[in-house]
Amino acid sequence: MFLLDDLFLRPITSLLTVIHDMALQERYDVERIRDDIKEVRLLYEVGELETDAYERRKATLESELDVAEAARERLSGRVEVKR
Amino acid sequence: MSADQTVADEKLYVYGVVEDEGVDVSTPGVEAASDVYTISHRRHAAVVSDIDTLDPDESDENARAHDDVLREVMTAGDGRPVVPMRFGMVFDSERALKNVLRNSRVELTGSLRQAVDREEVGIKVLVPEDGLADPEEARASIEAELDERAEDVEDGDLFSDRLLLNRAYLVARGRRGRFDDAVDAVREAYPELTVQYSGPWAPYSFVDFTIATEA
Repeated sequence: MFLLDDLFLRPITSLLTVIHDMALQERYDVERIRDDIKEVRLLYEVGELETDAYERRKATLESELDVAEAARERLSGRVEVKR
Repeated sequence: MSADQTVADEKLYVYGVVEDEGVDVSTPGVEAASDVYTISHRRHAAVVSDIDTLDPDESDENARAHDDVLREVMTAGDGRPVVPMRFGMVFDSERALKNVLRNSRVELTGSLRQAVDREEVGIKVLVPEDGLADPEEARASIEAELDERAEDVEDGDLFSDRLLLNRAYLVARGRRGRFDDAVDAVREAYPELTVQYSGPWAPYSFVDFTIATEA
């Protein structure tokens, strides 16, 4: 019985781990968030974003960056972001 | 505050290095520092202001202050070569900074020579939100137009899908007019593109000098 459980569950747990790691990679991709901040600043500088919209989007992205950096620190070694 | 009056527990934010001559900066510095001054060792002088942290906030205001100080230093009078530091270079003490000036004097002399009568300008070209029919053709044409009027070029990071081109150009100060004309020609040839032309900047992308802060 143990052998059967092991055989059935192992592929599922491996798949879940892969999916979980992929989700972490996407969520805590610090470089992507930094690029998004640079893009928002550029769009503001060339006049495609109003000041209010720029400030809002920048604040949101900076919060995301803080969270991502903290998470990457906590998960150091577990999450590898492939670009 | 003069260099001799620097309070022991204050740190020094460094903007760049020039040849030791009178530098009078009126632009406020990073963290709104009101006094930007120099600390010299032999023929080199670091342009600095006092700061109370080793890790200044990377805000838009601070980044702009860093650039504004460097621009004032490099454009004063007939222009002065400057070896720019990247944003965030802080030294614990005047002594540590002087050690770096002493240990790097050969590299600094070479880097200052590279910067004489040259300035950096930046070009970013954005495609419209709905894209461009032949981006490769446009990129090649723009690069050909601009490259021949510059002394050197460095590709920057294409951090946005909208960016067709992100480049820094090193331009002889006396030939800026020709480069400006080339940028105007690009704008005329591609009215559907957004061209951001910035500068002059200190030659961050071309002066080959880095500092080890632990020196």
